Formats: sequence, C-alpha cells, structure tokens
Amino acid sequence: MKPSLSPLLPKEDAREAALFFVVCALCFLAALSGLVARSAYSAADEWTDRVTGQITIRVRGDDAATARAVAIVKATPDIISARALERAESEELLRPWLGAAVPADLPLPHLIAAEASPSAAKAGGAGQRLSAALKAASIDATVDDHIVWSKDVKRATDSAGLVALVAVGLLGATGLAVIAFATHATLLARRDMVELLHLTGAKDTFISGLFERRFLMLGVQAGALGALLAFGAAAFILFVVKQADQQVWLLPQLSLSLADGLILGVSPLVAGIASMLAAKVTVMRSLSDMV
Amino acid sequence: MTFLTGPSGAGKSTLLKLAYLALRPTAGRVSMFGVDTSRLSRKELAPLRRRIGVIFQEFRLLDHLTAYENVALPLRVLGQHEKTYRDDVIELLKWVGLGDRLDARPATLSGGEKQRVAIARAVVVKPDLIIADEPTGNVDEEMGDRLFRLFRELNKRLNTTLLIATHDLALVRKAKTDVLRLADGMVVRVPAPVDASPVAPA
Repeated sequence: MKPSLSPLLPKEDAREAALFFVVCALCFLAALSGLVARSAYSAADEWTDRVTGQITIRVRGDDAATARAVAIVKATPDIISARALERAESEELLRPWLGAAVPADLPLPHLIAAEASPSAAKAGGAGQRLSAALKAASIDATVDDHIVWSKDVKRATDSAGLVALVAVGLLGATGLAVIAFATHATLLARRDMVELLHLTGAKDTFISGLFERRFLMLGVQAGALGALLAFGAAAFILFVVKQADQQVWLLPQLSLSLADGLILGVSPLVAGIASMLAAKVTVMRSLSDMV
Repeated sequence: MTFLTGPSGAGKSTLLKLAYLALRPTAGRVSMFGVDTSRLSRKELAPLRRRIGVIFQEFRLLDHLTAYENVALPLRVLGQHEKTYRDDVIELLKWVGLGDRLDARPATLSGGEKQRVAIARAVVVKPDLIIADEPTGNVDEEMGDRLFRLFRELNKRLNTTLLIATHDLALVRKAKTDVLRLADGMVVRVPAPVDASPVAPA
C-alpha cells in the first residue's frame, strides 16, 4: 500500500505550468514596481532632507557688497551659518556645463551659501526674511531656498509612486482574472468528478477547499519565485549602478532595505491568498449553478 | 430489494436521479426519507445524499485514484482520517473479490472489476438506501450473475434497501421479488415473474 492518498484533484501539469509561469511573472513585475516606487520615494526623501535648510543667495555687486551681505545674513535670526563661495567653488559648480577650463574673465555671480536652523527650515519663511533684510540694506540679491525644487521633486516622486501603484493594482487584477479563468477551466474539465463528489455527499465548501488549497500553494510558490527573481533583478541593477559609480539622481536608487525585504516577503503571501480567494469565489459561483 | 424496469426512454434513469438527488423536481414533489427535496437548500442536500449509495452503469470511478482510494472516497468526503477506515475498506475490497487489486487504477481494471469497486464505494458508508442504475449493463452475463449475488448478500447482511433499475430480465427473474414497472409515466407494481425454466438451486 502507498503511504499517502493521492490528491482528490488530479494534477494537470501542462495547464499548471502555464499558470505557474503567469503568476510568477505577474508577481515579479509587481514586486519590482513596488521596489522601484519605494526607492524613488526614499531617494527623493534623502535629497529633500539634504537641501532643506540650504539657502543660496546670489549677490549682484562687488566683493564689498557680498561681504556686507554675508554679515547681514549672519545677523538674521534662525541662520546658523553663512559664507561667500570662493571663485574656485563657483567654477566647480559650472564645471558640468562649461568643462574643466572656465575662462578666467568670465564674470561669475557672487554666491553666499547659508543654512537655516532645522526648526526654521521646517517652518519656512527664512528665505523671505533674508530677502527683506537684504533689500532693506539696499543690496541687490536673489534668495533661493530650494523650496520650489523640493516641491517639484515631491510632485515627480508622487506621480511615480502613483504609476507604480496603478501598475501593481493592474497586475493584481490580471492575476485574479487569470486564476479565476484557470479555476473555471479546471472545474469544467473535472465536472464529472465534481458531480460525483456532490452525489457522495460532499458540501460545496469541501469541493471549493480542494481548489483553494491547490491554488494557494500555486500562488505562494509562483509568487516566491517571482519575488526571488525581482530581488535578483534589483540586486543586479544596484550592482550595475554601483559599478558605474554615477550619481543616479532620484530614480532607481535601489538599496534593498528592510522595506524592500517586506515587499519581497509579502508578495508571495499576497499572491497565494489572492489566488485562493479567486478560486474560492469562482468555484462557489459555478457550483451554485450545478445540482 | 426492488427492481425497476421499463422500456428504454421510459424515464427510469430520471426517476432514479430524482431519488438520489442528482435532479430536483421542477414540478410536483419528491420525498426522500420523509423530506421534500424541492424545498431543500443546496447545503441541506449533502447530508441526505450521504444516506444514499449510488451505483452507475458507467461506474464513474475517478481515474487518477486507485481502487482503494476510489472506495474510500465517500469517507474522505466525510472528513474521516485514513487510519480509522483503512481496514474496513480493505475488508470491503476483499469481499467484492478485489483484495489483490487495491492499488490498481481504473484504467487497468476490467468492466466487472470496475463495477465491483463502484459497489464497494456505494456500500462503504453503510447507506440506508442503495440505488443502482443498470449495474450490469456494461458487464457480461457471468459477471452480471456475480454482481447480483453481491447485491443479494448486501441486502441480507446489511439489511440495506436496494433499488435496481435494469432491463436485464434474467436478473429480475433470479431475484424473485416484486418489480416496479415504469411505463407511460406510471409506476406499477407487478408480482415477481414466474420462472419458465427451472433454476438450479444455488
């Protein structure tokens, strides 16, 4: 005698392999979109943190005017530090646009780098106060506190996040539809068996349970493989970026943090449970049409 | 043990399906075990079905299960653990003469063997009523006799009511019981047919 009983629902390898592939691919894409969205958010956060409080003041005038401006900025409440940028530093800022040799006679603006205290940076308004103080001292200057930039970045990452969320939602819905379709096909193919089970006195929940267990296992396994592949893809991207040693601004700066681990760990479970529920709903609905 | 006969197309199978709850009446009333089946919800059908064992002409075994697993199917549906029924199922398969084919799958069984598995499956939960629809329709005469002996033993040993639909008149004659005849939408009880030829004592 065999030690264990055969499953009541026969394995149908060809159909299940195809389904496994589909669920696996969907889970891979969903996990990867999740990872990309999360990394976009964290990269934006990091950047915003870095620029918050940083104030750049452009002074139109000579060195004396700049020195006066520095004194006024330093005297303004909530400003921690302020200093005029050297010509070499300004040239450095232009290097990406003008190359290594910035002409010596190129007139460069006088820049002052100031930093507001974190509390003032949070509250905002330090820029306007500086602007007013400089104007009162009749110094022609422009104050930029990067708030406009931060807002742009936030808007960009918010829409990237929304796109990722929509993508995950669509992938999830596709997965549910595919599972429902496959369940229905299996149910039709095994109609004789379902009828026999009914006549044997099986309740709908018993029959549905057979399908639920089958698709739960399939979802979890396919989901795990998909998540693993997404992890591999993310690690690969990370590796390539690190190799290139480029400053990759904002977008895919994958870091594989705890949150990423959570995304990867949860997606197989979600895939499994979603598959199970899709199977359950499909079976229960189909069975109610049968005797 | 009661036989149900009638010409093909008279509705024997339909009547049986109504009895084993594969069909429910669209009009009129079918009462099983004192319960009006048309009033039952889907949920309430299952317990009633468990009191009925059904044997089909085309056996209806599950191809991917072994003979043993096919017989054990109703017990599995009841949620019983294999340990609790294993010996009973093996005993039952021995009784139908398949003690050595426990692990055989239906594809490797002959028609008569399949029907004996099906009989064992119908009996395994000790139902109050066993309904057989043309049980000997797909087996040769000798096997038909053998199956009939099983039915008679079942009837006597377990005291189970058997309702057998057949147009195998030889079978009916041997049974020497009253027969229900279905024709033109009416069921008529006719006395046991008198045997024209003498039957050798068993």
